[in-house]
Amino acid sequence: MSASLAPECNEVKERYDTCFLKWYSEKYLRGAEKDNKECADLFNEYQKCLGVALKSRGIDKLLDEAREDNKDNDSRRNKF
Amino acid sequence: MKVFSNSVTYDYSWDEVSTANWRKYGPWNNKSEHVIAVDTLSRRVDPDTGVLRTERLITCKQAAPEWIKSLLGGNMEESFVYEASYVDPRSKTVTMVSQNLTWSNLVRVQEEVVYRPLSDRQTQFLQSARITALCGGWQRIKNSIEDTLCTRFKENAVKGREGFERVLEMSRIVFAEEKQKLQQQGVVLMS
Repeated sequence: MSASLAPECNEVKERYDTCFLKWYSEKYLRGAEKDNKECADLFNEYQKCLGVALKSRGIDKLLDEAREDNKDNDSRRNKF
Repeated sequence: MKVFSNSVTYDYSWDEVSTANWRKYGPWNNKSEHVIAVDTLSRRVDPDTGVLRTERLITCKQAAPEWIKSLLGGNMEESFVYEASYVDPRSKTVTMVSQNLTWSNLVRVQEEVVYRPLSDRQTQFLQSARITALCGGWQRIKNSIEDTLCTRFKENAVKGREGFERVLEMSRIVFAEEKQKLQQQGVVLMS
């Protein structure tokens, strides 16, 4: 799996990515489950770590702008 | 504005491709040195449509040509891309849209990638990118910036294909090994 931009988050990111991939291939693609509950704790831990890095580098503000730009795509893609 | 488009057919099922896509920039890919990090920012399944929406931040490190560096100034080493992706398991479609976060007041790069099944064993990858230089000044300079980025896209597209082929191959091998291991365990348990 790929690295995180914040090296201190690598370990928890790796565990989350592995968990997600297993859920995606074994459950989600087979239509078995819509929620990824089993990876939720790892995801929250990863986000807590990543959030600090994004804020300290000012990337959080750039992301807010990009999300605003992407709203059209969201409404087009989420509702088929 | 310049438009770059590209299409590739992978001899793997859509399930395999859409799964391997999540590890496209991992260690199995030896052609993606320019992508140094991929972070997931959010992820949720729409309860009505079943569509999996993921936001990711992609960190790239690719040296820009000297003349662009001197023109735009600053440290061009690290750049960030925002990607939103949508997986629809019902129609078997993965759509990924991305845009540059860095130097976004100077140049706008919008990319869209779609993976769709061609058959049970083949998946089509469609990529298109729109590159628009926004900086004021001579049209000739804008054209040069757009051309340079378009060429970069072409080069990365070739590497992208080669790298992803390797990831797909490795994924299939590892998956087969795991399956065999499970079967062997099953035999042991039953005997």
